[in-house]
Amino acid sequence: MSNVDDTAKPVASGTVEKTDSHFHAYGKNRLGLYLTLPAQILVLFIALFPLLMQLYISLTDWTPLTGVRWPQAYQLWSGLANYADLLDDDRFYGALWRTFFIIIVAVPIEFFLGLAMALLFMDEFPAKRLFYSALLVPMMIVPAVAGYMFFLLFQSGGPINQLLSLALGTKVAISWLSDPDLALAAVIISDIWQWTPLMFLILLAGLLGVPSEQLKAATLLGASPWQRFLTILLPKIKAIMVIALAIRTIELFKIFDTLYIMTAGGPGVATETISVFIFKITTQELVWGYVAALALLILFTLSVIAGLAMYFLQRKKREVAA
Amino acid sequence: MSDIRLENLTKRFGSFTAIENMNLHIRDGEFLALLGPSGCGKSTTMNIIAGMEKPTEGKVHFGDREVSRVPMGKRGVGFVFQNYAIFTHMTVRQNLEYGLRMNGLPAEERKRKANEMASFMELTSMLEKPTAGLSVNILQRIAIGRSAVLEPAIFLLDEPLSNVDAAFRSVMRYELKQLQRRFKQTMVYVTHDQLEAMTMADRIAVMDQGVLQQIGTPLEVYNNPANVFVANFIGAPGMNLLEGSLVSEGDRLFVNFAELQQKIELPESLATATQAVKSRDVVFGFRPEEVELDTQPGGLTLPATFLERIGARTILHLGKDVCEVKAVFENDVEVMLDSQVAFRPAMGSERLFEAASGKRIS
Amino acid sequence: MASIVFENVTKAFGDTLAVDNVSFEIKDNEFFCFFGPPLSGKTTILRLMLGLDSPDSGDIYIDGQKVTQLGAAERNMAMVFQNLALFPHMTALDNIRFPLVERRIPEPQIRAKVEEASDKLHIKHILHKPPAQLSGGERQRVAIARALVRDPVAYLMDDPISALDARLREETRVELKRIQREIGHTLVYVTHDQEEAMSVADRMAILKDGHVEQIGTPIEIYDQPANSYVAALLGAPRINLFNVEEHGKTWTAGDGLLDLQSENVPLGTKRIGLRPENLKIRDRSDKDLGEPAQVVSVEPLGGFTVVSVARKDNANEVFRAMLRGQPQIDVGTEVALGWDPSSMLFFDEGDRAISI
Repeated sequence: MSNVDDTAKPVASGTVEKTDSHFHAYGKNRLGLYLTLPAQILVLFIALFPLLMQLYISLTDWTPLTGVRWPQAYQLWSGLANYADLLDDDRFYGALWRTFFIIIVAVPIEFFLGLAMALLFMDEFPAKRLFYSALLVPMMIVPAVAGYMFFLLFQSGGPINQLLSLALGTKVAISWLSDPDLALAAVIISDIWQWTPLMFLILLAGLLGVPSEQLKAATLLGASPWQRFLTILLPKIKAIMVIALAIRTIELFKIFDTLYIMTAGGPGVATETISVFIFKITTQELVWGYVAALALLILFTLSVIAGLAMYFLQRKKREVAA
Repeated sequence: MSDIRLENLTKRFGSFTAIENMNLHIRDGEFLALLGPSGCGKSTTMNIIAGMEKPTEGKVHFGDREVSRVPMGKRGVGFVFQNYAIFTHMTVRQNLEYGLRMNGLPAEERKRKANEMASFMELTSMLEKPTAGLSVNILQRIAIGRSAVLEPAIFLLDEPLSNVDAAFRSVMRYELKQLQRRFKQTMVYVTHDQLEAMTMADRIAVMDQGVLQQIGTPLEVYNNPANVFVANFIGAPGMNLLEGSLVSEGDRLFVNFAELQQKIELPESLATATQAVKSRDVVFGFRPEEVELDTQPGGLTLPATFLERIGARTILHLGKDVCEVKAVFENDVEVMLDSQVAFRPAMGSERLFEAASGKRIS
Repeated sequence: MASIVFENVTKAFGDTLAVDNVSFEIKDNEFFCFFGPPLSGKTTILRLMLGLDSPDSGDIYIDGQKVTQLGAAERNMAMVFQNLALFPHMTALDNIRFPLVERRIPEPQIRAKVEEASDKLHIKHILHKPPAQLSGGERQRVAIARALVRDPVAYLMDDPISALDARLREETRVELKRIQREIGHTLVYVTHDQEEAMSVADRMAILKDGHVEQIGTPIEIYDQPANSYVAALLGAPRINLFNVEEHGKTWTAGDGLLDLQSENVPLGTKRIGLRPENLKIRDRSDKDLGEPAQVVSVEPLGGFTVVSVARKDNANEVFRAMLRGQPQIDVGTEVALGWDPSSMLFFDEGDRAISI
């Protein structure tokens, strides 16, 4: 806001005339690209180097214990054997399936809960700010702490069972974390508790961006709340929904800390996800080439998810522009 | 029947009173302009009629039905927002059909009605276009058409012309009038532009600081303003208002302007009317269009300070600040700036107001 | 303090010519107005003048000096923003001092400059007040004082009062003109309100699609428009424009209601223009021959009344007449039309005015 009399700012006048900012921006971008090129190359190298290294190692049976320095890993060349092993590994498929299962169950629940709360928060109600702050607390807790918290909560003599006992009137002693089926449920519940607020926050931002006049106009034209949601809100926050879903899907694919503290992937492999699987085989079995192959596969999967989301957003943008 | 009655309407926002004890009857099929400066409470009044805000006290009736507690979606009023609130993710047709669709009309009928409205609003050629990127003039037509297609008995417009360019305004004014002739709605129109109100409205309700000042036909409020606020707000320029005090000399009654050290005689009708008021402090008013340049004694003299020629009209500014008088002429006037100009209000055009209350003496 | 000259200036954005071969000269101490519909190039011209954009071709001169390649900072022009942009939390004085304090000018010099500016603008008595306590006119003066202390060569204003209420706009524009006369600087003003433009401008330029259509004093342009576009842009209600109808040897216009036989119609006239205030309406008497006309609408606006008239049968054209006062005329009355021959405007095939 300094120097308002100065000449340096275009005026936003009532009658919008075409300015050249777009064209200028284009020219400047070009120049900007040249100026930042060295830095860009450096960043590219930093990102590309580990990737290439990983690719290289994934084609060998190299581990630090072999006594060979990694650049000489070609001495242990194994070709695509790691990939072949991977595709034959039932433990890998199990971990992959469990990861997807957690995503398929947790993300939609988080999404709908978050959306419902966000819709609730569009209206005024008493103590709204207090609720708002309270809702964001779970997200701010360090995942490891959250994991430990849930570990305590879900003990067979823990608070959750005590609450259930009180509610049902009989003694309940469910061994949440040691029953293979329930352990996964406990993990999912903890994730929902911790990450629904993020969904809520992103979706609320989207909803608040919808012009309130349009909602009022729709109401005055006879639209019911449900119709307003379907015809105005939903189309307007589609893009942000995709972003929210993509973020949570990618994040959840990497779920590790909370889960590892709660169950360490157990009992057995009942809650072993891809990340836990990688952690275990890296630290316990030390098959680095195998891990590298696995990591690349995951990277590929996540890229596909992100790519799909990007594609959807781009198409949306084109529709708006057309 | 859809007349609108506002009964003892009061609206407070915290300690701020937006509307104070307002009583207003808007007749069925009438075109009423709610006119006033920004912040006078006209938009709040409109929002209460539409149900977007709840009155702190008082009632709203549509015909025989009290609607004070009816939510906005159920009141069945058409509303055009100042920024039009077009659904930008839909095509023109989808916008026009929106209300019909929400009310469950079959597709065939929706299409027919939208086509009809499109041709009335001259939107046919762009029906299938997305609304993003259309000009303001067109967005406004869509906004009006989108509400009008539901044929609401009550149609509310919140300064719909303030964003469109001048040339288009007069077209739109004409079309709004046509629209009303066709559907016979009760139309309420919020504006701060007195000319717009004068051209379009059957009656004008003038508001200031949350209080209804006067309601009447355009000519009523122009000719017989209820108080100094209305006198000054209506007309371009507004009425000339000079503060003075009543002085009698024999059986003649004068208004003495202390600052000017001049006085002017009151016509008999006004002199009689002053008998009903106690205070001698008055405001003397006359329309700029009713000023006659006249060197005969008995008028006033002020220096010419400014001359505006706007097309056919010439506005002559005389005096300054509280003693400023404007005179409007239809053609050029031969007046030198800074020269003394003698003038008088045309016979019968004088108006007198109480200085303290601002009310007109009649 | 400066004249501003544009010489064949062109500026395109992509395929659109925003400013198309525009030339004009704004004289020293002149109140110069650019007027035209949206997208006619007004704002682009201001930006070129300020140095925010540079022209594709053509040159710009300030006080005879070529400044085409100079940036905004080197041109020393002051832009007064829409709604004046005063800081609400500062007093008028601090608002005016602000640009000087920002530039770290020594205190005695700041005082002298503020003193001089507030003297010129007669605002000494209100310097202690915050903007909220000032009237519209006073705010205008403070905003201009803030620009004035920097000694700019010219002031540029882009629709500075368009956001105000109609009533306030009328007062503010007069105030603005008074201030400009008092301080005597070049002031370039952009507006989309024809009344405002005619009221304030010493001279004005009418723009259309990036072209200058006409430059002159408001009165010149109003009375002798260069073409029918300009004629229609100025004046409210709009000028009546009718095509000339030829019937063998007789000429009429406006559904035959205007008999041009006795008029001195110049050769090549295709359209005629008649301003509403020059169209007279009187009762039809038995002596009136020709087509009967009928009143279709009456809009009493207080000081004057707009009466629309059309041919009784088979009406295509509507005549609008502006009558002084509040005459009693009913819709449906049969009337006869009159006009002052000298007030009629003639346009040729290309809609250019034909001077007589």
